[in-house]
Amino acid sequence: MNPVSAASPEVLDDEVTARIYEVAVLLPYPMGQKEEHQAIKEIENIFKEAGAREVSKDVWGQRGLAYTIKGSNEGNFIIYHQEINPSKVREIDTALRIVPGVLRHIVVTPPKGYRIVKYSESYEVWLKERESAGEKTKREREEEIQKSIADKAKRQVKREKTAKAETPTEVVSKEEISKKLDQLISDDSIEI
Amino acid sequence: MAHQQQQPQKRRQDLKRKECAFCEKETQYIDWKDYPLLKTHVDYFGNIRKRYLSGTCLQHQKMLRLSIERARFMAMLAYRK
Repeated sequence: MNPVSAASPEVLDDEVTARIYEVAVLLPYPMGQKEEHQAIKEIENIFKEAGAREVSKDVWGQRGLAYTIKGSNEGNFIIYHQEINPSKVREIDTALRIVPGVLRHIVVTPPKGYRIVKYSESYEVWLKERESAGEKTKREREEEIQKSIADKAKRQVKREKTAKAETPTEVVSKEEISKKLDQLISDDSIEI
Repeated sequence: MAHQQQQPQKRRQDLKRKECAFCEKETQYIDWKDYPLLKTHVDYFGNIRKRYLSGTCLQHQKMLRLSIERARFMAMLAYRK
């Protein structure tokens, strides 16, 4: 689990050039402003003492945790990308373990050619885009209703078309027929 | 009693080999911070989806396992529900 162990201590010399490491820290969310400031200051002091150079810092803000840690269900993630000398990484790892208020921390060595992505922004976009289970069922029901209405309309149009084709073109009403018959009967010119 | 030779089982013709979703995108590294991606590879109980169900290749499954384990450690994903 510990990514620091990936870099063997024999290789770690001062001659080795500094490389970028990803350090993630989890702080409890309902935390006093003063305590939070102090914790962040202490963490950044550790980096300073190790001679690290900050590349990027990403504060995620309030996030729900998958399980409770020391009684807190929500946390605040802070992701640092620091240029650290590999020999100092273990030092930082042990120092972060003692900082009060830090629930969890992890040090990861990103692969070569790793592009730093700020997941705090992409996560918010994903939250907005994704639909909840209730919304999904509602949308599906509406689509079903719309489909059934469209099918009904199509069927009606088809029925009307067939009915038109079956009926004769000229329809003579009963009154007209009776009128014509009367005319024929009353007409004297016709000799039968 | 004469031993009847068993005929080799016929393979279904309509079977289609699943392709690795990460190979299609030429993924080099799966980030443990990418919650929306990791969530799709974990089932309701918090187990990692099997390779033969998702179609992920071995190389990417190993990457995925590592990133899911890191996310679990940082309480982004549950160990067990």
